[in-house]
Amino acid sequence: MKKITHLLLTFGLIIPMLFVSTSSKAQKQVDELKKEQDTLKENVTTLRDKISGVEERIATAEGDLAKLTKIKLSGYIQAQYMHYEASNAYPSNVFMLRRVRIKFQYEPINGVVFVLQPDFLPGNITLKDAYVQLNDRWLKTFSLFAGKFNRPNYEVEYSSSSREVPERSRVIRAIYPDERATGAKLEIAPPKIPLKVQLALFNGNDGLTILDAAGVNINPLNNDFDNHKDFMGRVTYTFKLGQIGALGIGAHGYYGKIKANTLDVLNSDYTYNRTNDNIGQLVKKNWVGFEAQLYFDFLGGLALKGEYIFGVNGTPGYTSKSSAVSPMTSVIKNDTLTLTTLTTITTNSRPAIEKNFQGYYIYLIKNIGKRHQIAARYDYYDPNSKVSSDQIGIAKWDAAVKTTTTDKFTYAGTDAVIATNAQTKTVVVNNLKSGTSDIKYQTITLAYTYYFDDNIKIMLGYEIPLNKKVGVNDKGVGNVTTAYAVNGEPGVYDYSNTIKQNTLTLRLQVKF
Amino acid sequence: MKKMKLKFGIAAIVMLAILGFAFMPAQKKITVKGSDTMVILAQKWAEVYMKSHAETVVQVTGGGSGTGISALINGATDICNSSRPMKQTEMDKLKDRYASLGVEIPCAKDGITIFLHESNPVKELSLKQLSNIFSGKTRNWKEVGGPDEDIKLYGRENSSGTYVFFKDQVVKADYAANCQTLPGTAAVVNAVSKDKLGIGYGGAAYAAGVKHCAVKKDDKSPAFVANAETVKKGQYPITRYLYMYLKNRPTGEMKAYIDWILSPEGQSLVTAVGYFPVK
Repeated sequence: MKKITHLLLTFGLIIPMLFVSTSSKAQKQVDELKKEQDTLKENVTTLRDKISGVEERIATAEGDLAKLTKIKLSGYIQAQYMHYEASNAYPSNVFMLRRVRIKFQYEPINGVVFVLQPDFLPGNITLKDAYVQLNDRWLKTFSLFAGKFNRPNYEVEYSSSSREVPERSRVIRAIYPDERATGAKLEIAPPKIPLKVQLALFNGNDGLTILDAAGVNINPLNNDFDNHKDFMGRVTYTFKLGQIGALGIGAHGYYGKIKANTLDVLNSDYTYNRTNDNIGQLVKKNWVGFEAQLYFDFLGGLALKGEYIFGVNGTPGYTSKSSAVSPMTSVIKNDTLTLTTLTTITTNSRPAIEKNFQGYYIYLIKNIGKRHQIAARYDYYDPNSKVSSDQIGIAKWDAAVKTTTTDKFTYAGTDAVIATNAQTKTVVVNNLKSGTSDIKYQTITLAYTYYFDDNIKIMLGYEIPLNKKVGVNDKGVGNVTTAYAVNGEPGVYDYSNTIKQNTLTLRLQVKF
Repeated sequence: MKKMKLKFGIAAIVMLAILGFAFMPAQKKITVKGSDTMVILAQKWAEVYMKSHAETVVQVTGGGSGTGISALINGATDICNSSRPMKQTEMDKLKDRYASLGVEIPCAKDGITIFLHESNPVKELSLKQLSNIFSGKTRNWKEVGGPDEDIKLYGRENSSGTYVFFKDQVVKADYAANCQTLPGTAAVVNAVSKDKLGIGYGGAAYAAGVKHCAVKKDDKSPAFVANAETVKKGQYPITRYLYMYLKNRPTGEMKAYIDWILSPEGQSLVTAVGYFPVK
């Protein structure tokens, strides 16, 4: 019994002791765990803060990056070697940069695009495109352009970086000089219909050379020349021909006028048409064009493209007046010194002319495999369809050269005084003769292009312009001739012959 | 004499080996690039086709429809897979470069599926609601019958045809700035499967591990889940064709491959992968 009591007492003492010891150990462990938990909490909070910081930085970087993605940069450089066969060309072979363009495109918000495209040709930096484009975000059909941009025409809008031959056809270069014009344009292109309508209003004088009496271009900056705005419209539609290809057809029209800049206006055949009331009155620039592009899958891509344009293209004239006074004679008679002066008033004018013209071009393009392309183009341009070739150099308008002399006695007497005997002479020069600007040309262009890849291509092009021969005079010389000099050696182009003006172009293009 | 025979023997073997290699039919390689949505389908086609056409190698890569079309234009691929029709500007580039408008071959149909987390109580959404969600006008699930929590958006990168198609046909505005872009529909599905508040979109073939949300044209219309029947009947409102684009009409091995894709055998794989046949 004692033993049991002893045991119980012993357990009674040991167990609480053990309990106290275990409990203190547990408490210690709990405290340690709490400490660890606190440390972990702190670490997690620190990490969370760090992650938030990184997230914030990423968000800022993404924001900056998003802004950068709104800017698109593209462009191309065309470096070329050219060999001219024309005898008036010196140097007859040159290395040159034909186009050095960078296109900046910025779309700050969906549907608003700013485009800027300078051409960095050495010594001649020009602004090619500079416009704002507003796209309708709802129907995705309408786009409004304002600024300087391509005129709506197939060959004009077809990028020089994609064109299969080195240069545009002669008729397009003549009626749309510099390709671009300043104004506003509305484009209608419904997303699910292959129809495109373009309506544009332009100043109308972009790229034109308008000469004054001294032969200086008075339109170098392309500032508007008159109050009239020119209208252009173009409609195109593409028919899909199943898996064989497609046919695109279209038409465009130009309705414009330009200040005559003189009083007399001639018809296309150099006959007299009218006298305007003032030099601000206008001459016509109206034409229409019809285009078609056939794409046919025949052992790879094959394309046949063409356009025919005809109408009236007015060219301004000029008029200038000058006067000069010169002493002629002095005579003493009856004690009177009589001075004679001559005032010459010269009016130097060139009439404006409204020329009927026509022109067309046809391209045949064949792609061979992924890398090769051959192209041939035939283009024809008749700048004056109302004057036949044998009349070029003969057809002219010549207002009679008027020379009027008026005597004016202001004093005559017997006293020794000075009197004046003034005379006035009026000279009017006003004529225009057909010439090189009326000569018809047909041009054959052949080109081979090798595509290294999507960015680099090399093109070998050969252009053969053939002038239509003009008539000859009774001395056996052409009715139109132009003189030139190369290195002091004089030469003459006689347009009653075919003038050799062929050009070879070897072009390397890098596009990005 | 024996040595001579041995030499002749070796020479004959070498000659035969050379002749053998020379006359061995060369492997024909077809490269396919483009839509990520179509990658699993294109890979399946390639895998099955190559089993029965050992002489042909079909190499498939993704990158997105836009990337595929660019590759077609710059000559880096023979076939471009695209989950959207080619844009006019892209067609113009092809025209300028190859004097060809390309060949468009619809090869499958797809219903763009709206992915939700399996625990999300929302069962259906209208096109208008989807537009508001993905454009950022609707930001809380409560507004469309879900919990009072922020909506987490998952979408595709802008080179993706699905991105363009969904934007043009459903969102009809810019995507919300907080829409997380992911490379491929599989990544979108994966993200939504892990995010209770997530919503994403993508090809029907990828919708494993997430809930399919039924879609209705408007509030009054019935809602449908994308499946063979609803897509075929035109009931599911977000359907589209999946295309293959070529530079020119196919010839030779390429023609054989495309003909096979459009054959009942090729089209049966469309269904097997989770899309819908064109015929």
